[in-house]
Amino acid sequence: MYRYDEFDQRAVDERVAQFAGQVARRLSGELTEDAFKPLRLMNGLYLQLHAYMLRVAIPYGTLSSRQLHKLAHIARRFDKGYGHFTTRQNLQYNWPKLAEVPEILRALAAVEMHAIQTSGNCIRNVTSDQFAGAAADEVEDPRIWSEIIRQWSTFHPEFSFLPRKFKIAVTAAPKDRAAIKVHDIGIVIRKGAAGVNVFDVWVGGGQGRTPIIGQLIGEGIAAEDLLAYLEATMRVYNQHGRRDNIYKARIKILVHQIGATEMRRQVEAEFAEVKAKGAVVVPPDEIARIAAYFRPPAFETLFDADLSAARRDAGFAAWHDINVARHKVPGYAIVTVSLKPIGGIPGDASADQMDLVAELARAYSFDEIRVSHEQNLVLAHVRQRDLPELWRRLEAAGLGSANHGLISDIIACPGLDYCDLANARSISIAQAISQRFAALERQRAIGELKIKISGCINACGHHHVGHIGILGVDKKGVEFYQITLGGSGDETTSIGEILGPAFGEADVPDAIEALVDAYFALRQDGERFLDTYRRVGIQPFREKLYASH
Amino acid sequence: MLQVLTANRLLDGAAVYLAPNGAWVETLEGARVFDSKADAEAALQVGVEAERRLVIVHAYLFDVVQAGDQVKPVKQREVIRAAGPTVRRDLGKQAAA
Amino acid sequence: MPLIKDGAFITDTFTRVADADALPAGPAIVSLTRFLAERAVLLSRTAPLGVRIGSHETPDVLGADVLHLAVVELSFPKFRDGRGYSSARVLRDRLGYRGEVRAVGEVLRDQWLFMQRCGVDAFEVREGTRLEDFSAALGEQTVFYQRSADGVPDVFALRQRKRLSTALAAE
Repeated sequence: MYRYDEFDQRAVDERVAQFAGQVARRLSGELTEDAFKPLRLMNGLYLQLHAYMLRVAIPYGTLSSRQLHKLAHIARRFDKGYGHFTTRQNLQYNWPKLAEVPEILRALAAVEMHAIQTSGNCIRNVTSDQFAGAAADEVEDPRIWSEIIRQWSTFHPEFSFLPRKFKIAVTAAPKDRAAIKVHDIGIVIRKGAAGVNVFDVWVGGGQGRTPIIGQLIGEGIAAEDLLAYLEATMRVYNQHGRRDNIYKARIKILVHQIGATEMRRQVEAEFAEVKAKGAVVVPPDEIARIAAYFRPPAFETLFDADLSAARRDAGFAAWHDINVARHKVPGYAIVTVSLKPIGGIPGDASADQMDLVAELARAYSFDEIRVSHEQNLVLAHVRQRDLPELWRRLEAAGLGSANHGLISDIIACPGLDYCDLANARSISIAQAISQRFAALERQRAIGELKIKISGCINACGHHHVGHIGILGVDKKGVEFYQITLGGSGDETTSIGEILGPAFGEADVPDAIEALVDAYFALRQDGERFLDTYRRVGIQPFREKLYASH
Repeated sequence: MLQVLTANRLLDGAAVYLAPNGAWVETLEGARVFDSKADAEAALQVGVEAERRLVIVHAYLFDVVQAGDQVKPVKQREVIRAAGPTVRRDLGKQAAA
Repeated sequence: MPLIKDGAFITDTFTRVADADALPAGPAIVSLTRFLAERAVLLSRTAPLGVRIGSHETPDVLGADVLHLAVVELSFPKFRDGRGYSSARVLRDRLGYRGEVRAVGEVLRDQWLFMQRCGVDAFEVREGTRLEDFSAALGEQTVFYQRSADGVPDVFALRQRKRLSTALAAE
């Protein structure tokens, strides 16, 4: 993975010093809260229900063992012994003290990490494919350009006071594991006509109050033009995005309003100017330097392992079937480490668990861990013959749930238990559903079913792209839950459809059961839940769900 | 309508409440309850001053109802703020209780 | 309001003229609307002329006329309104403007460096602003990943220079 050079390190160190100065000025009263708030947001520091919350950037979801050990250390020393992995591949600490935040940032800087631009109306963490470098279907490692875009977007002087936040995701495979079409900018790297990799730039996707699927604005952009193209797009947004209404300020509203054709025209006009003079030039030598950090690790030459003996343990066999994906190199495997134990808090990991995963990454996966936007961790390069031992150690630490992509692999935002913006709790709903469907055999019978839960309209739980989406709302002071069907965040991106009237907290697990029953009654061979919905539509589900009401 | 003045403590962001003696306390039990709109509005000024003096940020009033000899928040959000995350009973103020 | 340029306080010799008011004899700043409406008259004056660009306006429409302007004021009504940063870059990069680009409005400490990098070279700041705070703020960051209008080399250019000098040294 990428290692900082002297410039990268100095940039982060200076930012820490700058923020330390800002905190000092806040604590002395020189800065009011109003003046301090945008500054702390640009360093990822929120004020939530119970405490401050610090969001640490994990660029394109990639961490080294050393970095994960440091995150564990910070959790112990400065927080309450745990952290929360988010739907944007970042980590959140829920209990930092204001005066200690500069020290936390210094500890992060010592391992090439930071909390820069994880909040505020600027370009946020660039997210990518958690299987990067390991999946057979990728045309190149999407993290090379993710890293270049990260650098280009850091402290961008023109784009630090945008109408609203800006989220970029990058993939390089036909299968979209990063939900690029519901990002402000989603980039797909693919083979171009001349056999050289080119960039498709999708613009104006997003969730929140108005979920919209992005539109293809820049098609087949050459690598040497990408940053200029992004600058042009950002400038059109900065100049013309709405600033009068925060609910209509994302680029998706602009694209929706003027249309893709007009958006493309404006971006192309600006691109022509920016290309002439304006955008930073990343020379081929520099691209090569950064690309070198993402070269494949020193894989051994192996045959696929015979795990039949180990598979006699039903627990291992289940986990092997469900949480292990094919690696492009024979003898290796991609492991998804579940942070969704039955009844647990989705995405949370204790400091001890973080240390263990860091250790396991060092032992079994070339020192590297990924965070997926579905709030699990990934060890991307595990030798197949190490899988049984890896599983045993994960299982002992509560990290061995065999549920990747199954009904209990729920995505949930922190919700009203933590978040100042929330209308309803989300974690407790996830726990109730998880417990109702705990039986592994039943989960496997259901198959792939992605439930995503948000505690408010901001949709940080990505409920719009859940096969089943659940949105917590406040109805006259009582928490209610609106259920949607048929969302998807993959390359067949779709926004979920509302089923009908909302459910009280206690009724949600029954509602999910009704939907699962409907699926069982309707499904044809091999159909996933999503496929059945797409074939039969919402009506049969709606009927089953509200039959008893 | 009964009301309580709350804010986040500047240093650690903890949810705190204005007490009868003018201090900011962590528990709702210790909070001053306003039963007149005039008193409540006046308390907002106390909040503004406390923010100026770097004690708290963002003071606001929220509704409570009498429940025996205690008061209970009307909104779930304030119930949770007063206690801590419902899914981690070992954390927040509820843990100290 | 104090005006900082080239690291020092300067006296503002310009008068801001409302659209309905008569022009003074000396240096004057008019709105973009007025400039476009009275362009010929304004450009025929000998006294220095400036144009104020609102945050909802862009300078493109000025075109080559910028070269006759002594000052372009960019309005930042709230610090959150970042449109002026794009206007500054368009003025410098596209229109080739070399005169004074002045930031007015809510021009706060934590914006100065970004503004300068976009091409602002004069800052109308709050009363009581100290020059040492101004230069301290501009010095807080020295690493820039983007091309900037102030000519400071970006990290990619610096890395390339290092590569070339290493390669030369190796020969």
